[in-house]
Amino acid sequence: MADLSIQVHEVDGMAVVQPEGFINAHTVRQFETALETLVKAEKFTILLNCQKLSYISSAGLGAIMGLIETVRENQGDILLCSLQENVFAIFDTLGFTQLYRVFGTEDEARQALAGKTE
Amino acid sequence: MKNVLAPESFRLVIPSQTRYLNLVTGLAKRAAMIAGMDDSTAAKVSIAVDEAITNVIMHAYSGEPEHLVEVELRFALEALEIHIWHTGRGIRDDQVVLPDPREYVKHPRKGGLGLLLMSRFMDEVHFLEGAERNECCMIKRVG
Repeated sequence: MADLSIQVHEVDGMAVVQPEGFINAHTVRQFETALETLVKAEKFTILLNCQKLSYISSAGLGAIMGLIETVRENQGDILLCSLQENVFAIFDTLGFTQLYRVFGTEDEARQALAGKTE
Repeated sequence: MKNVLAPESFRLVIPSQTRYLNLVTGLAKRAAMIAGMDDSTAAKVSIAVDEAITNVIMHAYSGEPEHLVEVELRFALEALEIHIWHTGRGIRDDQVVLPDPREYVKHPRKGGLGLLLMSRFMDEVHFLEGAERNECCMIKRVG
């Protein structure tokens, strides 16, 4: 199995990024490239579905932090959903759950976004 | 011959390359569970090990792949000790400045979070400069 594979699809104008595996200093470039590609394509609302993400290190958090200002300046956001316990612990420990909206499921994130845009 | 007084431990030496990170973090997680930690705590130990070795590779060795990183997992009484040695640029405890997470929330930026994760997920983190090599020592107590 690859260390990291990333699926990207679009739902209701939102880009859904689904990493499978782990994000650390070894795999972060792949993750960063996936996010940068979306931003270059002007997809500024990005949902990270972390259901299959086994762990993320500070390298991966840095990749998200590096783009948050750009997407928000363009009326977008980076949302998170389906975090495994240890991944949630990493975000929560660093106070990132105050920075990013976290949802239990992809559907909840989509509904929240639809409510915002109605 | 068995030394019953010394804590049980094992060592491994990896090249200073990030592709070996997951190998070591997997071992550290298993070791934490053998030491008696639950899955959630063991996952935090493995993240701390990832961060510590990444720091060695990227900062102490400036990303140069031809160096060595030595890791020892030591089963002490009611704790797991993780010792990481390298011959790159060292730091001491008094040089470590942990970022304030509240400031991060106010002013998002890249970098500086690895040490914070290490300090939050482990009970003790120490950096020691030696004459020939430098060490990062992390301790996680069981229970």
